[in-house]
Amino acid sequence: MQVELRAYTGLEKFFGARHGEKLMVDIDANTTISDVLKRYGIPPAQVSAALVDGRHRALDYCLQPGERVALFPPVGGG
Amino acid sequence: MRLTPDQAQRYDRNIRVPGLGVEGQKKLLCSSALIVGVGGLGSPAALYLAAAGIGRLGIADSDVVSLSNLQRQILHFTPDIGKPKTLSARDKLTALNPDCEIVMHTYAVTEDNAAQVIAGYDIVIDATDNFPSRFILNKACLALGKAFIHAAVLSMSGRAMTVLPYSSACLRCVFRQLPAPHVPSTSELGVFGAIPGLIASIQVTEAVKYLLGQGELLTNRMLIYDGMSMCFELVEVLRDPDCPDCGQPSMIKRGCNYD
Repeated sequence: MQVELRAYTGLEKFFGARHGEKLMVDIDANTTISDVLKRYGIPPAQVSAALVDGRHRALDYCLQPGERVALFPPVGGG
Repeated sequence: MRLTPDQAQRYDRNIRVPGLGVEGQKKLLCSSALIVGVGGLGSPAALYLAAAGIGRLGIADSDVVSLSNLQRQILHFTPDIGKPKTLSARDKLTALNPDCEIVMHTYAVTEDNAAQVIAGYDIVIDATDNFPSRFILNKACLALGKAFIHAAVLSMSGRAMTVLPYSSACLRCVFRQLPAPHVPSTSELGVFGAIPGLIASIQVTEAVKYLLGQGELLTNRMLIYDGMSMCFELVEVLRDPDCPDCGQPSMIKRGCNYD
């Protein structure tokens, strides 16, 4: 099973991708967003929001095959 | 109302834009916007809205101009150091366009006063520099049914999203928690001055489209910009029924403290 992973604003560097570049990630049943972060060494504190198919999900959300995961770091300046 | 000959000349390049025209210009002159924060985002946003001929522009900021502001906060000049940002901004904006009434709110917009400040405006532009203020604005705009144009910047990147209350995804449909305290901010990672200029220009374009009822708004999608790779990405964002601010009424907590 696979999910699509995209990361933005610096988080993409953890898996050597370009900004917003799609990465296909193999997952097992019961793989959570946290598990994916762990796999790529992304500190959870650096993930301000995780969207799955456009909807906010907590990091303990169990991913389903084919879902699109988007990760955003905290960007708060003005 | 009729445009004066001076106004017809001043706004000539606006009026020629398809979808704007004389009627659009009149509508802008009768519209109002509140910009919360007159810093990196707020400076260019205020300049473009005033120049465009918005009738009334509220500017809210409790801060004073400092030397480290000047590489990006383009409303403030070297002799303004130490002045309240609202005062410094008002002087430039009034000089730019006397048609635009500038209303200064020289205090912090808080959970206690947000609704009162926002109520007098057609639209709210997020030019703040912190998540707690953004959460307060998001919630107050939902309560009052005001359109809210969110943006944020850091280093060489930025993002923007338009919120139409209870119709499109709101800020807290995406961002639930305040960032951890040790997460780097602009004071650590910096922000290149042109980045807020670019993102604020997007906010103003959204605001004018909303006020004129033109075009497709940046709703249910978030624009993410990365200056280093010069990539603009649009990310789908959906309303969340469990959103603490705009979700089902039973899920909405009252009186949240964001401090």
